[in-house]
Amino acid sequence: MITLQSSDKDVFEIEQSILIQSGTIKNMVEDDFTFIPLPSVDTETLIKIIEYMKKHADKTDSKEKNIKEFDKDFMKKTLNELFALVFAANYLHISSLLELLYPSIADRIKDKITEAIRQIFSIRCDFTPEEERRIIMDNKWAHEGTEIEGTLD
Amino acid sequence: MSGSEMSEDEERPCPSDLTGGATAKARNCCFNAAVSGGVSGGVSGGVGGFHFSPHPDQVLENVLENVLCFLTDRRDRNAASLVSKSWHRAEALTRSEVFIGNCYAVSPGRVTARFERVTSVAIKGKPRFADFSLLPPDWGAHFTPWASVMGDSYRGLEKLYLKRMSISDDDLALLARCFPSFKELVLVCCEGFGTSGLAILARDCRKIRALDLIESDVSDDEVDWISYFPENETCLESLAFDCVECPIDFEALEKLVIRSPSLKRLRLNRFVSITQLYRLMIRAPQLTSLGTGSFGNPTLTDEQDPDYASAFAACKSIVCLSGFREIAPEYLPAIYSVCCNLTSLNFSYGANINTEQFKSVISRCHKLQVLWVFDSVCDEGLEAAAETCKDLREIRVFPIEAREDAEAPVSDVGLLAISEGCRKLKSILYFCQRMTNAAVIAMSKNCPDLVVFRLCIMGRHLPDHVTGEPMDEGFGAIVKNCKKLTRLAVSGLLTDKAFSYIGQYGKLVRTLSVAFAGDSDMALKYVLEGCPKLQKLEIRDCPFGDLSLRSGLHHYYNMRFLWLSSCRVTLQGCQEIACQLPRLVVEVISGEDEERSVSPEHVNTLYMYRSLDGPRADAPSFVQIL
Repeated sequence: MITLQSSDKDVFEIEQSILIQSGTIKNMVEDDFTFIPLPSVDTETLIKIIEYMKKHADKTDSKEKNIKEFDKDFMKKTLNELFALVFAANYLHISSLLELLYPSIADRIKDKITEAIRQIFSIRCDFTPEEERRIIMDNKWAHEGTEIEGTLD
Repeated sequence: MSGSEMSEDEERPCPSDLTGGATAKARNCCFNAAVSGGVSGGVSGGVGGFHFSPHPDQVLENVLENVLCFLTDRRDRNAASLVSKSWHRAEALTRSEVFIGNCYAVSPGRVTARFERVTSVAIKGKPRFADFSLLPPDWGAHFTPWASVMGDSYRGLEKLYLKRMSISDDDLALLARCFPSFKELVLVCCEGFGTSGLAILARDCRKIRALDLIESDVSDDEVDWISYFPENETCLESLAFDCVECPIDFEALEKLVIRSPSLKRLRLNRFVSITQLYRLMIRAPQLTSLGTGSFGNPTLTDEQDPDYASAFAACKSIVCLSGFREIAPEYLPAIYSVCCNLTSLNFSYGANINTEQFKSVISRCHKLQVLWVFDSVCDEGLEAAAETCKDLREIRVFPIEAREDAEAPVSDVGLLAISEGCRKLKSILYFCQRMTNAAVIAMSKNCPDLVVFRLCIMGRHLPDHVTGEPMDEGFGAIVKNCKKLTRLAVSGLLTDKAFSYIGQYGKLVRTLSVAFAGDSDMALKYVLEGCPKLQKLEIRDCPFGDLSLRSGLHHYYNMRFLWLSSCRVTLQGCQEIACQLPRLVVEVISGEDEERSVSPEHVNTLYMYRSLDGPRADAPSFVQIL
C-alpha cells in the first residue's frame, strides 16, 4: 500500500497496483517511496484522480463498455474541475486521463467567440489594439472560408 | 462563488469542500484572472493567471497546446488565436490544416511564418468564370511560389488540395521530393501539368493514398504514368483519373489494382473499355466508389460477354457510381444490383442515356442522395427520380447541348416534380430552356432546406414561358422562403425588382452569380447594400456601371472577390475604387471578346479582391492592376 498526501494534508492509502497508472507515482515507487506528498494536488481533485485510477485498474474486456460509460460521466464536471484534473493528471503523468480531458476541455471552447473564451478562462487580452486588428485581418482575409465544394462523393 | 469569475457554463455547483469555506473561492478559480497577478507572476495576460497553485508557464503552455489540438473548425481556431498572445502562439503551433480561399489574398511566406506545423493545405485560385473561358489562359494562380515556400517549411506535408490552380510538372516533382509523408493529392479544375509529372509522383511518393484528378486538364506527354507506381503493394485508397484524356496501359493498371488491397475509390477514364472494367472489378470487390470509364467499346471476340451483372453484384460496397463515358445502353442492366445501395449517381459524363434507360435505373435507387444527370433524361426522367429518391439532397441537371437555341427537354415540369418528391433537397443546379415562376415558387415552399439554388435558363432574358412575366417573383420566393440559402445563381428575364428581393431577404447569401439580368445600377446596389454576408459576387453581361460599383465600397473588404465582365463600368470608376480602398487589388483584364457587346469606354473584365500583401508580381501583360 502507498500513502498519498494532498496539498490540504489529507492522506489516502491505496494499493500500489492501482497507482502505477500514474507515471510519476510509478517512478517514485520504483525508488522505494511509500509515502508520496503531492503539494500541487488538492484533496478534492485527488479523490477524483483516485476514483479514476481505481476504475481503470481492472481493464478486462468485459469491463470495457462499463469503463467507457464511466469516462463519459466522469467528464461531466465543471470547467474548473476539469482544469484542476488536467494539471493534476499532467503532473502525475496519467496519459489515459489526459486523453479524455484535452478534448473535453476543447469542447467547452467550441462555437464560442473570443471574448467568451476569455471570460471562461478569466484571461485579460494582452494585445494592443493594433496587434489585435492585424490578427483579425489575417484570420478573415487569408484564413476565413467555408467548406470546400465541388466534388461528387 | 463569485459570479464574475464563473462562466455561463458552470451549471453544476462545486462539490462541498472538505476544509471549509475559506479556501473555496480560491479553489474554484483555477484559471483565475489576473487581478493579483497570480503566483506564477506575470502570466496574467497569457494562458490564464494562476491564483491558487503555482504552475509554471511551460506546463500551462503544454496543456493549452494539447487542448487546442482538438479544435479543428477554422472559426474556433480563429477565435482562440485572438484570446491572448500565449493563445495565439499555441494556436499557431497546433493548426495543422490551412485553407486559403484566394491564392492572391496572402503571400505564401506570410502563411508559413504564422503556422509552422501544417500537414494539410487547400488553396483556391482562379475565379469560377474562368471555367467558361472568360479569363484568358496564363492569367495566373500559379502553384509554384507556394510549392517552393512549402517545400522548405512544411516538410511534414501530407495533404494538398488545389482548385483552379496552375500546377506544373516541376511542382509535382517538388511534392515528390520534399514531402516524404505525402499522402493525398486532389486537383480540381487544374491545368499546367501532364502525364510526365504524374509519373514522377507515382514513382516517388511511396506513401500516397489518394491521387484524385477531377475535371483537370492533363497534357499527354506519352508517358505511361500508371506503370510508374512501385512494384510492391501500395497504400492506394483512391485513384481518380476520369478526366485524363489519354490512353493508359491497361495491363499496368490491372496489376496496380491487384497490388492495392486498400483501394476503395477508382475512377477510370474513357479509354478503359467495359471488358477491361470487368477485369478490374473482379479484382477489387471492396470498392465503394466506381467511375466506370467508357462502359462501352466491348472487345469483340468469339466468346460470350463476361457476366457484367455478377461483377457488379460482387461489389457489395459500391455506394457511388459515375463514368459511363461512351455508354452502350444495353449493358446498363448490369448495374441494377448496386442501385439499391447507391447514395451517389453521376450520369453527367455519358451522353447517350435516354429517358427509358434512365428510368430503369433510377427507379431502383431508393437511397440516392446525390444525382448528376444530363437533360436527355427529360422531365419524365426527373419525375421518376422524384418518385423514388425521397432522400435526395443534391441534384444537378446539365445541358447536353450548351447552345442557347437548342430544344431543351427539361423544363418547369421537371423542376416542379423534383420539388414535390424530394423535400429534403439542399442543393440544385438546373439548366433548362423554359421555366415558370410557379415552379420556382413551388420549390421555394416544398424545399425549405435549400442551401444552394442555381437556376440557369439558357437563352438570354427569357421570361416565364406561360405568363410572359419576368422571373422576379420566382427568385424572390426562393430568397424569402429558403431561410438557409447561402448560394444563389439567377437567370432569365429579371428586372431590378428581383435584386431588391435578394437584398431584402438574402441575408445569408454568400455567393451570388448573375448573367444577363437587371435593368439598372439599382439592381447591384440592392445586393451590395442588402446582403451583409456576401463574399463572392460574379456578374456578366449586366447593365451595371460605376454608380453601382461605388455602392459597395463599405463592403468590399468583407468579400473574397467581385467579378464584373461585359458590364458598364469604366476605367475611371475602377480607379476610384482602387483609390478609396488601397488594400483591394483591382485587376482590369482586356481579353479577346468576340461578341463585343461592350462599348470601348467600358472595361471588359473587372476582377477585384482584398489582399494582405498587395498586388501580385506575376500579372501577365493583359492584366492592368490599378
